[in-house]
Amino acid sequence: MGGLQKKKYERGSATNYITRNKARKKLQLSLADFRRLCILKGIYPHEPKHKKKVNKGSTAPRTFYLFKDIRFLLHEPIVRKFREYKVFVRKLRKAYGKAEWTGVERLRDNKPGYKLDHIIKERYPTFIDALRDIDDALSMCFLFSTFARTGKCHVQTITLCRRLTVEWMNYVVTSRSLRKVFLSIKGIYYQAEVLGQLITWLVPYQFAHDHPTDVDYRVMATFTEMYTTLFGFINFRLYQTLNLVYPPKLDSKAESELKAEHEEDYAMDSESYLEKLSALSASLARVVATAEEEENQLDLFPTEGEDQENMQAREKEQKEQEAQKRLFEGLKFFLNREVPRESLAFILRCFGAEVSWDKSLCIGGTYEVTDETITHQIVDRPDMDKQYINRYYIQPQWVFDSVNAQMRLPVEDYFLGTTLPPHLSPFVEEKDGDYVPPEKLKLMALQRGEKPVQEEEDEEEEDEEEEEEDDEEEDDVDDEELTEEKNLKKMEGTRAQGKTLAVKVTPGKVKPWETGSVGNKVRLEQEEKAEEKRLAIMMMKKKEKYLYDKIMFGKKRTTREVNKLTAKRKAHEDASKSQKKQKKAKKQ
Amino acid sequence: MAAVKRLKRVAALQPGFISFKSSAESDDLNSGRRKRVNKNKKKNWNKHSDIQDVEEFLDDVRLQERATGGLISEKPDDSLFFVDIGEQKKSVLPEVQERKKGKKSKSRPLRIDLILQHDSLVPPPKDVLAYQQPNAKKLRRIAENAEKLAAMGVLPRRQKRLLNRRPATKTSKAKTAANNFPDRPYYDLWGGEAKETADPYYLEQTGKRRVKRPEKLNAKPSILPAVEVIAPGGSYNPDFFSHQALLLEAHEVEVTRERAELRIERQLAVKREDTATEETVFQELVEGLVEEEEEEEDDVVSIRGGLQQEKKTEKERKRERADKIKSQQKQAARVFTDKKQQLFQLRSIQATLKRREQRTRERVAQRKANQEAEKSMPRRLGRLKFQAQDLEIQLSDEIPGSLRTLKPEGSVLKDRFKSMQKRNMIEPRERAKFKRRHKVKYVEKRAFREIT
Repeated sequence: MGGLQKKKYERGSATNYITRNKARKKLQLSLADFRRLCILKGIYPHEPKHKKKVNKGSTAPRTFYLFKDIRFLLHEPIVRKFREYKVFVRKLRKAYGKAEWTGVERLRDNKPGYKLDHIIKERYPTFIDALRDIDDALSMCFLFSTFARTGKCHVQTITLCRRLTVEWMNYVVTSRSLRKVFLSIKGIYYQAEVLGQLITWLVPYQFAHDHPTDVDYRVMATFTEMYTTLFGFINFRLYQTLNLVYPPKLDSKAESELKAEHEEDYAMDSESYLEKLSALSASLARVVATAEEEENQLDLFPTEGEDQENMQAREKEQKEQEAQKRLFEGLKFFLNREVPRESLAFILRCFGAEVSWDKSLCIGGTYEVTDETITHQIVDRPDMDKQYINRYYIQPQWVFDSVNAQMRLPVEDYFLGTTLPPHLSPFVEEKDGDYVPPEKLKLMALQRGEKPVQEEEDEEEEDEEEEEEDDEEEDDVDDEELTEEKNLKKMEGTRAQGKTLAVKVTPGKVKPWETGSVGNKVRLEQEEKAEEKRLAIMMMKKKEKYLYDKIMFGKKRTTREVNKLTAKRKAHEDASKSQKKQKKAKKQ
Repeated sequence: MAAVKRLKRVAALQPGFISFKSSAESDDLNSGRRKRVNKNKKKNWNKHSDIQDVEEFLDDVRLQERATGGLISEKPDDSLFFVDIGEQKKSVLPEVQERKKGKKSKSRPLRIDLILQHDSLVPPPKDVLAYQQPNAKKLRRIAENAEKLAAMGVLPRRQKRLLNRRPATKTSKAKTAANNFPDRPYYDLWGGEAKETADPYYLEQTGKRRVKRPEKLNAKPSILPAVEVIAPGGSYNPDFFSHQALLLEAHEVEVTRERAELRIERQLAVKREDTATEETVFQELVEGLVEEEEEEEDDVVSIRGGLQQEKKTEKERKRERADKIKSQQKQAARVFTDKKQQLFQLRSIQATLKRREQRTRERVAQRKANQEAEKSMPRRLGRLKFQAQDLEIQLSDEIPGSLRTLKPEGSVLKDRFKSMQKRNMIEPRERAKFKRRHKVKYVEKRAFREIT
């Protein structure tokens, strides 16, 4: 027995953490500066596992940082700049107080500034690292660029954000890397694939701001400061990969086209170039003038077996992608003044269309409404007075839905004044056996290349499809189960019908294999298969059987749920239909 | 005095001198007796000489100069006299009228201005020094010399020294532009960099290279994605069922919130048994008046119990020991037989073992799953807990028919802010409350008080 008595809280987790206030004092910074430094350097607070130990016996909730992180912060040169800035502010205030205007001027000239380049380099050692983390930066810059210049944040920041986002949009247009768009009630979600990375960002609708009071603007401004720096460097690199000039310049050909007579009325000289860029209607200048992008083909290697299949699949995929990139190529759009110009122009240009708009709406429109070669005019009002015969008048949702469906959807559903089909989220991916809304089923059928059937037959087809699907699933189940399943379905059907009032029972369909010799053959084959399966199940070990049963049960449950949902949907549609009929009757 | 007199006489004798006040002086000259004073001292000369008349004369001269701009005696006759040739009535009348009109139209200068006007006719003295330059000659010579040298192409020494000085390095004073400067340039940050051959430790210690960032810091504090896409029900033109699903979700959130509120309310409510009844009121009134004897009895018992503890006898002790040994033996025998019996229970034991293992495995899996789930949960980083944003939702009757009529819901700014909190990048905080340092005092103003 000997040695010194061990003191409490001098080893272990108590020494690994440091409270925020202590960290602040160690760095000799004010709380605001400390918070800024942490955001810029990417050092976040930690929640210790044993709070009581770390907090020296107290259970009061506190903010903790890792001690090593703070020690790392001590090496940061920006800390000194922050201190310098503090002194600068003090001197400036003093000079103001004494009304020494020359002193104020001199101080202003020597205002201490700092750069974040080295921090960006340190946080993102490679370009790809930075690109992976760009989601935040994009959303933030798009958000700040839509702010009103009312003093909630610095006007220069807003201008810089605008510049960067315009550069980004121009890059996406030129590289044709947009994949998905989703119009939500919050804002517009975009997804693009840039250098193999999926990048998602959110753009608020224009003029949609009421400034919330419970948001710390200073923190957001600090994040934006960091993100603008990051974003700029990424933009530079991206432009480099496409051989584009940075900062972006309009093509000389396009530039001459865009020369409007009353340019100076629209914007000041300093702003007009950015405005022209943000119009997105012209292509950008390249470092090396090349004729359109070369087709980059995959190198062909002699392959065997599985590899070959893979290769083929990949090739097919690539072809599809190429086709998607040229979705709107050759089409000529005209945007009416009531549609969101920027997002539509961005999307249409991303897929190779030509876009124009009214001269009074924005700079950069290349042709007039009267142009005979326009193929589509995007309109969002109940009726148009003057209509041209040789163009479609469609609602803006057509563009978004077509992009998500990766094909030009039939325009009939989107004509002027028609009720639009629902705008489905492209970010939802259904697994096997999940409930799929009928609109999506229809869309998938379209994608497979089936012809859409007229309204009246539409429903039936849906039913058919559903049945087919059910069959596919049920094939796995043996006959007994099948019958059981059918019973269950029937019961559920009746129940669903019981819930809704007037639903007519559709007559059962004759299945194709029940007629004709070909049908017989198919049926025989199927029966054989089912028999085999049943035997295989019988031969199973107890353990495997248990597992199998479990899987089957899960599948059945999902199908039951799906059936329930479809029944519900049908009931809803029928109800709405009957309502419509009633309305019609009333009208008559 | 004699001198003054003489001077006066001189002045008066001067041809053509007219004094302003000529009458007064003759009396002064004759009245009073001459005082005899020694004049052998210079002091007395000054003291006792009468210079009154000279001063008067000079005053008169100055007065004439001030009032008329020179000595009257030197003025030409034309300026002093005019030839009276009677009135000229005709010409006067219109003039008077005009003057009257003029008076009305032009405002007369203020009297105060007239008083303050400079009315002396003597011109102010010239400032001689203003026209003179000290060392003018020397300077002129120097300038001439410099001109000559310049013509020859020789530079003065000072200029030569300035020219010979090294220009100040501009790099040291280069201003760093603000980070939000809209036209700031960017460059290839991740371009190739020169390999450093020196010892990294040396470079770090001498501040030539920055300290390496620990790998651990690049790990993200949460596995949540930066931009979480809203549920499909949040589409501007949603599918009916997905919209219903989202509504249900929002409904559930609201229900739990309400339940929590209700619980608090219930906890705060006064219990029924805590309300005063007649009985309790009476009890309270009577408290202390009626004596209770139970306590005393208790005390008695405890004391008696203490007293009862007596010494054990030898016999008792022996018996106790025997009992103890016996029970121990019994226990040992029991254990032995149990062990023996376990041989026959092997199967069931195995089953229990299996069950236990199974349970541990499940628990391990559960714990793993919990840990995984925790990675996407917001942590407790400060005084406040993270509170999720309200779900953005549009009710069925708010859904717009077209993009034009869409009214955006929620704020993207708030969404970004909350997302950062959710991803553990910043701790949740609330706005600092405004605290008044001094109490507000209300005072009725006197003017107001008088009315009421």
